[in-house]
Amino acid sequence: MSAVAPAASPTTATADSDIIIETRNLGKIYRDFWGRPKVQALESLDIEVRRGEIFGLLGPNGSGKSTTIKLIQGLLFPSSGRAFVFGKDARDVSKNERIGYLPEESYLYKFLNAEETLDFYGRLFDMPADVRKKRSEQLIQMVGLKGARRQQLREYSKGMTRRIGLAQALINEPDLLILDEPTSGLDPIGSREMKDLILRLRDEGKTILMCSHQLADVQDVCDRIAILHRGRLRELGRVNDLLKVREVTEVHAKGLSAETQAKISELIKSSGAELLSIDNPTTTMEELFLEIVRESEARPGMRTSASAQASK
Amino acid sequence: MRLESEQMWGYFEWLFQQFALLWGVGILAGLCLLGFIVCYVAATFLYGPVEGFYAVTRVIYELFARDLPSTTWRRTYAIARLAFQEAMRRKVLAVVAVFIVGLLFAGWFLDPNADYPARLYIESVLTGTSWMVLLLGLFLSCFSLPADIKNKTVQTIVTKPVRSTEIVLGRILGFSAVGTMLLAIMGVLSFFFVVRGVRHEHDVRAISADGKTGQTTLDANHTHTFEIGENGEGVTNEVKGHKHAVVDTGEKGEDGKPIYALEPPVGMLQAKVPVLASLRFTDREGNTGEGLNVGYESNYQKYIEGASLMSAIWTFDDVTESRFGKDGINLEYTLKAFRTFKGDIVTGVQGTVTLRNPNGKVESNRLRFIIKEFQVDQMSIPRELEGFVNSEPKKLDLYKDLVDENGKMEVIVRCEDRSQYLGMSQADLYIRKADRSFGWNMFKAYVGIWLQMVIIICFGVMYSTFLSGPVAMIATLTCLVFGFFGGIASEVASGKIPGGGPIESIIRMPTQTGAMTELDLGSDVLENVIKTIDYGIMSPLSVIGRVFPNFGSLNTSSFVAYGVDIFSSLLFRHITQAACYFVVTALIGYFFLKTRELAA
Ligand SMILES: Nc1ncnc2c1ncn2[C@@H]1O[C@H](COP(=O)(O)OP(=O)(O)OP(=O)(O)O)[C@@H](O)[C@H]1O
Ligand SMILES: [Mg+2]
Repeated sequence: MSAVAPAASPTTATADSDIIIETRNLGKIYRDFWGRPKVQALESLDIEVRRGEIFGLLGPNGSGKSTTIKLIQGLLFPSSGRAFVFGKDARDVSKNERIGYLPEESYLYKFLNAEETLDFYGRLFDMPADVRKKRSEQLIQMVGLKGARRQQLREYSKGMTRRIGLAQALINEPDLLILDEPTSGLDPIGSREMKDLILRLRDEGKTILMCSHQLADVQDVCDRIAILHRGRLRELGRVNDLLKVREVTEVHAKGLSAETQAKISELIKSSGAELLSIDNPTTTMEELFLEIVRESEARPGMRTSASAQASK
Repeated sequence: MRLESEQMWGYFEWLFQQFALLWGVGILAGLCLLGFIVCYVAATFLYGPVEGFYAVTRVIYELFARDLPSTTWRRTYAIARLAFQEAMRRKVLAVVAVFIVGLLFAGWFLDPNADYPARLYIESVLTGTSWMVLLLGLFLSCFSLPADIKNKTVQTIVTKPVRSTEIVLGRILGFSAVGTMLLAIMGVLSFFFVVRGVRHEHDVRAISADGKTGQTTLDANHTHTFEIGENGEGVTNEVKGHKHAVVDTGEKGEDGKPIYALEPPVGMLQAKVPVLASLRFTDREGNTGEGLNVGYESNYQKYIEGASLMSAIWTFDDVTESRFGKDGINLEYTLKAFRTFKGDIVTGVQGTVTLRNPNGKVESNRLRFIIKEFQVDQMSIPRELEGFVNSEPKKLDLYKDLVDENGKMEVIVRCEDRSQYLGMSQADLYIRKADRSFGWNMFKAYVGIWLQMVIIICFGVMYSTFLSGPVAMIATLTCLVFGFFGGIASEVASGKIPGGGPIESIIRMPTQTGAMTELDLGSDVLENVIKTIDYGIMSPLSVIGRVFPNFGSLNTSSFVAYGVDIFSSLLFRHITQAACYFVVTALIGYFFLKTRELAA
């Protein structure tokens, strides 16, 4: 992908097109009070999130994931480039009608209880009282907070807070869900439920942008991922493609005789290749991740290994 | 309390003749222009001149084209409700508890021997209430938004389709609702505290042998004497600003004489309605002129000389029977005597009141009075009175003969004692209409406090959109100080306060020239230069001062304390001013909120 010069309007994305989120040359420099640059948190990011997919943002701590998400929400203003959501500028408030957002930590009002919280955010979507009531009933049920609905959020455990945070993100039946570390703070069962829910929402036709540290989670649910490191895009593509190691062939067979195995080894050797091991599996997400980080530390710039270009 | 002529302006007189509208529009235009320039310079710095201009105009465009049209009541109400709940969470109701404790202790501190106990009670509860409510408004409004930004709860709000207008309006409404609730509770408590505090009863202690005069028991640190008229009813003298009616109980004592009882006090908690008039003077030759200045520091009162043609003439408008009642009118006046010789100190200076038809042909007899200084004096003028038509003695009817076809009537005051002087200002003589209810007046004073609170909340919310809590608080307080001293600056600039501006004052100090004497440096040019420079310093200050709310002039509690009905026009003026501050601060708050990064 090459950097696109910032333009006044999105090239491809319109309200109905298949591109839900588009960032062009998006960059963010955090400045101090006097306007002096402090941190370059993001550098010319170009990604597209398409309708109906689960897009994962990956990266080590401080790599700019949350910054990207905040830029896409209009919570931060870009220092360069632009971001579009539903074909509208990220700073356009009206886009929020169709977005559900689960922040890094659930920034909710601690003095409200679950019902009041959902009612409050429902009002912000200008929903009439009966719709709000019905909807919050469903959501409380769905995230499993029925027993704690009258409890103030200050008394909630971390997992419960995460659940109510998710419920508030879904109050408006959004077309686009933006989840900043959705499984953090959840126990294995909770995080399984969360992942199932994400997949179900995708199957309902919603688009999901999430970022996470939990590589396994990303591997489980994401269709495509982007890996960031130090504010730069390192890797972008379909999860399956990225995890496929092309120079390695994997052979799974049942009932091979030792003789046949020897023949295969022979064949490999004669074709000039080297036999590693016949039963080696695909690489794991973790390995991929660590490799990218190592590599990018050694050699800045976008990765150009064989699989990395599989962005389409 | 002394009424300023500014307080007496009618609403439309204030708006148009006194240029309030013009000032308002001018200041608004100035602020808009200034705001645009400042924003443009800042935007140019960030984005360059063309992009910067685009950025600024886009925000303005968005306000009118997007954010205002899409502002909904439901969202605004949601934010307001949240602000209210947040305040409740912070236990603001504790303020009421503190107030109640304050009231309980107030009984100890209030001097029971005060000359006007009602005044003392009213002033202390109103002052207490307003301090508490204003401070509360200040704290709530300044700290809420910065706390939300710090906790990042604001991030969950602004990623909903919430407009910046709604965040600002909702907060102002929510905190105002909190304040309104507290103010209502404190108001009701105060009302009963005052009513209970001044209530007292007397019994008859002694009565004279002829049954005509008597004395009451000592209650609430005072006694009254009283006189009983032919019809068996009487009234006490005025002590501590009130009287009691004395009534015959119908029973007879052992000696066969009637037993009298005293009714509850009247005149303590009142709301009298003064109808003021314009004032002019005639000079020693009887021509229209100025009153004299006897050298007191204040220009407030002007003096007329005794036994001369000098007089003070008040012209009343709209003097009708339906307005003042069929039995005639009640004049009230507070005049000041200035004696050039002691004379008979006991008798006091004499003056007269004459009613005159402005056509000059019909005039009443001179009605004599002896002035009681530092006290409100009353004179009932009957419907029928003796007078002159074209210098012919005749019986006159107040409304038919002394009021001209435009409804105007003149009241002329003269001083009768040679070489003595009577001092007066416009508000010192008025016709007293039927009283209004004290409770209603107290309510109006609370509306005044409420307006001050709303203004503080508006400023607090505005500053909190771009400053941290403590800084926002200091900024708000600074505005109040500016407003207060701006009022003084404009009075200095207009010469209403004697003594001149800073340079003149500095010269007056070492030369020990009193503020009332003209500055004399022996050179007209020098004096003029100094005055011009002073004016040049003070008038911009007074303009700046006008931009900020002047809480000195917004405060109407002394009206209640002095038993004067708060003029509706004054209240409407204050409401108008508060509405302007609301609009301006909400706009500024909107722009800051709109243009800042809430996640940075
Ligand atoms: N408000 C801020 N002011 C200054 N620098 C910031 C600010 N927020 C983030 N940064 C810096 O920007 C960089 C990216 O931060 P960001 O929060 O986007 O990382 P992240 O990928 O979300 O990390 P994590 O996985 O820990 O959440 C970091 O170096 C961080 O220090
Ligand atoms: Mg983060």
